[in-house]
Amino acid sequence: MIKLTRMAAMATVLAVGTAMYSPAAFAQDSIYVPNLSYRTGPFAATGIPLMNGQRDYVMMLNARDGGVGGVKLDYDECETGYSTEKGVECYEKTKDKAVVTQPWSTGITLQVLPKTNVDKIPILAPGYGFSPMADGKIFQWAFNPPAGYWDAASMILEYLSGGDMASLKGKKIAFLHLDHPYGKEPIPLFEAMAKKYGFTFLPIPVGLKEMQNQSAQWLQIRRERPDNVIMWGWGAMNAGAITEAVKTKYPMDKFIGIWWSGSDDDMLTVGEAGKGYKSISWSQPQPDSQAMADIKKYVIDAGNSLVENPDVDTKKVFYQRGIVISMILVEGIKAAQEHFGVKAVNAEQVRWGLENLDMNAETLAALGATGMVPPFKTSCGNHTGHSGAWMLEWDGAKFVPVSDLLQADQSAIEPLIEQKAKEYAEANAPWPVNNDCKE
Amino acid sequence: MLYRTAGQFKTSYKADHALFPVRQDAVLLWIIVFLAVVVFPLTASEFTFQALLIPVLIYSLAALGLNILTGYAGQLSLGTAAFMGVGAYATYKLITIFPEMNLLAAILLSGFFSAAVGAAFGLPSLRIKGFYLAIATLAAQFFLVWLFEKWAWLYNYNASGAIQVPNIDFFGIRVAGPTAKSIVQYYFVLGVVALMTALSINLTRGRIGRIWKAVRDMDIAAELVGINLMKAKLLAFAVSSYICGVAGALFVFLWRGAAEPNLFDIPLSFRILFIAIIGGLGSVMGNFLGALLIVALPVVINTIPDALGLDIGAAPLEHINTMIVGGLIIFFLIVEPLGLARLWQIIREKFIIWPFPH
Repeated sequence: MIKLTRMAAMATVLAVGTAMYSPAAFAQDSIYVPNLSYRTGPFAATGIPLMNGQRDYVMMLNARDGGVGGVKLDYDECETGYSTEKGVECYEKTKDKAVVTQPWSTGITLQVLPKTNVDKIPILAPGYGFSPMADGKIFQWAFNPPAGYWDAASMILEYLSGGDMASLKGKKIAFLHLDHPYGKEPIPLFEAMAKKYGFTFLPIPVGLKEMQNQSAQWLQIRRERPDNVIMWGWGAMNAGAITEAVKTKYPMDKFIGIWWSGSDDDMLTVGEAGKGYKSISWSQPQPDSQAMADIKKYVIDAGNSLVENPDVDTKKVFYQRGIVISMILVEGIKAAQEHFGVKAVNAEQVRWGLENLDMNAETLAALGATGMVPPFKTSCGNHTGHSGAWMLEWDGAKFVPVSDLLQADQSAIEPLIEQKAKEYAEANAPWPVNNDCKE
Repeated sequence: MLYRTAGQFKTSYKADHALFPVRQDAVLLWIIVFLAVVVFPLTASEFTFQALLIPVLIYSLAALGLNILTGYAGQLSLGTAAFMGVGAYATYKLITIFPEMNLLAAILLSGFFSAAVGAAFGLPSLRIKGFYLAIATLAAQFFLVWLFEKWAWLYNYNASGAIQVPNIDFFGIRVAGPTAKSIVQYYFVLGVVALMTALSINLTRGRIGRIWKAVRDMDIAAELVGINLMKAKLLAFAVSSYICGVAGALFVFLWRGAAEPNLFDIPLSFRILFIAIIGGLGSVMGNFLGALLIVALPVVINTIPDALGLDIGAAPLEHINTMIVGGLIIFFLIVEPLGLARLWQIIREKFIIWPFPH
């Protein structure tokens, strides 16, 4: 009994202590930029390099320039383990102070998307999320620069055709994808293109439980003998598909992945055997750039980075993509600071900043990031920017670019974006639409 | 002292069979009701509503559904999440086919779809028992999630394969969808959960509940005293799935706002099974205690370092959290294998005889 009483007393003291301690009044001399990270769980292998890149860029700015425009960036991570439930919890936890939400999964994006209109917080989902988010008139608070999944699908087809889409006629293209909202995203575009250019489109879904063992899917691929395999994979699915392709001796140079299927770590397990595998990417590692040199000087050498093996890991595609993502966010904050003349910008001002991003060649050069991402520009009607992308190829040890900058066929994408965005707005009526935007 | 029962005389059979024969229990219940209806909603922030109050209630209801089947009728099931999914998808179809339908009516109706599916998957329970039955219900789990993925009609041919909750009004007040206020959703959930809990309490302590307990304790003996096993078991499956279906509908419509099929996959089933086991099988209150431990505690632990000003990285914090919760689960199961409900009962009995233990 005494024990119980003592335990109860301790619990009470603890509870009261926590309740009494109100978090310090939020100082206005920093900008809070949370990140819904996933350094744990089944997708951690791909999450960690991206999060490290995002974190190190912000750390570098804080150390080199004292933040952005004289205001420190308060970078914080809320761990989701890629679970939608935890993601929403993190969103609720951070939304009061945050100037942006970085949801990091299509599932979380879909959940948070309708709430942002009410909470007035911009979503920044670079290269992922819901493709129709490009329509800024309908999705006022959502941004997926520099390119969306439909851009990727179109660019991959363009690369396969060698510039002449008519040459795809009669070909058979298999689409190996995760059976999940993310993997299904590009299907409407592929289907429209298949009809238009007369190729056979063959979707092959991989269930979440089959990610690591795709023998059934690759048996189907062997039987169907497609001219090309396009992959929309994530996490363990990528490594699974690549090992299986090597095992079934599928010609690697016919195999193309989305930008999330182009992680060095997935390829290193097969090494030389993966030679020829390609991945479309809107980012490219530039280990010799000024931005990277500064990160090395101010963050890595100072011992403030979480990267385990800096000499190797910082050269990888995903780490450098993380840097680009933070760069896009910071440029949005900068644009907002300049436009509103405020140092500590709020969420609504950052929304304006992200809507008026201008990442042209000079800006990129000034950031010391030439070649890390193609130049692009957003506007009130175009929240993606449609930067275009490069085709990267695995040379046995690293990814190297093998194409010039590819551009998506916007004439095929725009009507689809408009239609799907409208459908979404109708299904969620009443949905606020920005009618002031004349574009 | 606080729990002294001296002087509380019962003069009728009715008083003796009251839900709370001890007056202090009734007082405690009123305190909890007062907290839930007045204090929490007045003080809670958006985060508290969305991460603590609403999920705890919904998970408790789902665990209650499972507990009726596993705790009262003794039929082990691993298909809870799938039955929740049936409720959620049924509500979605009802709402999109009949947009003018009342949300409460749609949720309560959707439970019947779930009940029918549950009873169908309960048929093997007539021939097999225990772990073998668990495997049979596992089939329901896999089959139904597969169906949610492949049957595009269920999600209205949405390209992403997910269902999204539209804005829904309930007697002029927005209760579901992105523009709904958390406090409204909370009261809606609280109302449904309270209704279901009251029904279950009365069901489990009445004739049907006794039949279920008889089947659970020894089904051959139950059959010998004249209980129709088929009826009893299938009824348990139907009632359990009904409650799970309602919980699933609340889960998606009043809390999550969107759902993809793999949300209803086996991890959710296990989570609810843990709540039921740690809370206490064969107890109604245990579900709520279990949900507090499994659902609310990790959220609370996550906020502690921030509140104390400690700087722990997000990933280590997540690991520490998992370890603490895991440790607590083991601790509680060692201290009281019959669950938190039983632990509370022991504490209560000690209070009653305090300060003069035998």
